[in-house]
Amino acid sequence: MRNIAIIGSGPSGCFTAQGILKLRPDWQVDVYDKLPVPYGLVRYGVAADHQGTKNIVRQFERVFTRQGARFFGNVTLGQDVTLDQLRDAYDGVVLAAGLAGDRSLNFDTADGVIGAGALTRALYDHPDAPDLPDIGGDVVILGNGNVAVDILRLLAKGETEFNGSDLSPRATQWLTSRDIASLTIIGRSAAQSAKFDPVMIRELGKLEDVSIRVDDPLSGDEKGLEALRSIDGLNTGSRRITFSFGRQPKGIETQDGKITGLSVETEQGSETISCDALITAIGFCSDASVDRDALIESAEAIDDGHLAAGLYAAGWFRRGPRGTIAENRTDSLALAARIVQDIEQNLDCEKMGQDVLGLSTANMVTYQGWQRINEHETTQAMAARCRTKIHTRAEMLHQASTIKEVN
Amino acid sequence: MDVTILYGTETGNAEMLCEDIQAALEDAGHDVLMENLSDVNPTDLDIARVYLVVCSTYGDGELPASAKPFAEAMKDAPDLNGLRFGVFGLGDREYETFNLGSKQIEEMLIGAGATLITERVTHDASGSDMAEDVALPWAETVLATVEAE
Ligand SMILES: Cc1cc2nc3c(=O)[nH]c(=O)nc-3n(C[C@H](O)[C@H](O)[C@H](O)COP(=O)(O)OP(=O)(O)OC[C@H]3O[C@@H](n4cnc5c(N)ncnc54)[C@H](O)[C@@H]3O)c2cc1C
Ligand SMILES: Cc1cc2nc3c(=O)[nH]c(=O)nc-3n(C[C@H](O)[C@H](O)[C@H](O)COP(=O)(O)O)c2cc1C
Repeated sequence: MRNIAIIGSGPSGCFTAQGILKLRPDWQVDVYDKLPVPYGLVRYGVAADHQGTKNIVRQFERVFTRQGARFFGNVTLGQDVTLDQLRDAYDGVVLAAGLAGDRSLNFDTADGVIGAGALTRALYDHPDAPDLPDIGGDVVILGNGNVAVDILRLLAKGETEFNGSDLSPRATQWLTSRDIASLTIIGRSAAQSAKFDPVMIRELGKLEDVSIRVDDPLSGDEKGLEALRSIDGLNTGSRRITFSFGRQPKGIETQDGKITGLSVETEQGSETISCDALITAIGFCSDASVDRDALIESAEAIDDGHLAAGLYAAGWFRRGPRGTIAENRTDSLALAARIVQDIEQNLDCEKMGQDVLGLSTANMVTYQGWQRINEHETTQAMAARCRTKIHTRAEMLHQASTIKEVN
Repeated sequence: MDVTILYGTETGNAEMLCEDIQAALEDAGHDVLMENLSDVNPTDLDIARVYLVVCSTYGDGELPASAKPFAEAMKDAPDLNGLRFGVFGLGDREYETFNLGSKQIEEMLIGAGATLITERVTHDASGSDMAEDVALPWAETVLATVEAE
């Protein structure tokens, strides 16, 4: 028997646990998360109206209910426990803490500028998210990845288009009562090099109340261009959407501390796109809760996820903010095989596991605690919703410890 | 009966489903092997066994990563006359290209001379059914149909 700790219960942490336990069913794998609830960006990043993608959690549930992994939520690395403590207690420690910070532009910020990570966390009821911002008027979304398209789609939907989602009443109200005059999505590169998935673009063709214009010559047979052509000129209603490419952001213009425009450089020269709000969806970075840079710099073999003796990195924490759930799976399963091999070669491991950490169990949420939260969120779901999330830590902790009468 | 379950997957849902099918069929007394399509060559397929193929769809109506090498090898036109198989597809109706991956696999095998036992059955990730609730009856029907022949 060996003891493994995984920090982060997002896809990369859960797939690493799944992989290790498939190879060594008798090992003890403990998955920690700073939140009281598991699954990372599957819960707080994957769009509320893409419930099919969230089905992946059925695999993760089994990691805890059948494969024997333990979940310990509401435990923050760097706060409730240190990396050295974990490395003393466990034969292997895997950092799968993701990258939660929004990459920012290289120029000053202002009121009306918000990062995509902060916005999506607020929309999806993340307990540590800021309040939903007050935005409206002409809205610019900067970025050409899938996250930018998610935000565009959400802002363009009407009330009934959220049926079946897990969007909260607060977020639904916020999204559908915005006084938005126009939505412009801006990419730095040309249309044919945009990073978004063509299917994400084609999905916009189903929107019920939009008029879409793609502001770029669109010749070429790339799949992305084909998808853009298929929605160009779509006119089902009043919300105006414009796609604009080849515009390198140079700075913002402000008045009284509030954004009024985005200056961009194009092949034809500079221009200013006037706007009342700017949503930046240009990538993610470390939120500094763990000293990632130092760990990555001193890594033994970062491409294999090997940081130091008995210490590993997985997922976005290792690779940077690129790649889908599928790519995390491939990576994490390979990492699991490597961990098993390394640890079995090292005969003097056999550490004591969680007991020696002396963690206070009072506020720790176990998998059973999560099941109570899950049960509450799904049985108390509002009409036309598959779930209504609890959005404060206090209420999560309360529900986790509330034992329901079975009648 | 000697049964082989083959799965094509991108994020592991098909693999998990096949573990359930394997457990249920073994409980019913069948001899069941399970393999990832990525580890199978079309020329290895054995007409003495019944094949249950479970495959998802990815990207834009494409085959999932683990089914791609198999599809590539099928281009060499192997002779699969006499091979009996059923197909179960995983997909999501949010995509216009619903279950085109499992359809491709089915067409490929039929094109090589294999015989489809009962119609392809699909699961919709955006629907309310659990995949195993749809897939287990499908697997039983395929085997019962073969048995009745
Ligand atoms: C808005 C958005 C939408 C997306 N949509 C899709 C999609 O539709 N399909 C798709 O395939 N991919 C999507 N992705 C990408 C996908 O979410 C990532 O590939 C994946 O979640 C990365 O997994 P991870 O486990 O590395 O990180 P995460 O999912 O971020 O998990 C990290 C976990 O670590 C925990 N943690 C962080 N710091 C600490 C600490 N100090 N102590 C303890 N725990 C900690 C966090 O709470 C979190 O639970 C999306 C990403 C974003 C941002
Ligand atoms: C990026 C992405 C693309 C997808 N494309 C399709 C598609 O074109 N057609 C479809 O029916 N399902 C599609 N799906 C749904 C998957 O087939 C479904 O989630 C399935 O359960 C995945 O099974 P797997 O984990 O075995 O690959 C897609 C899912 C994702 C995440």
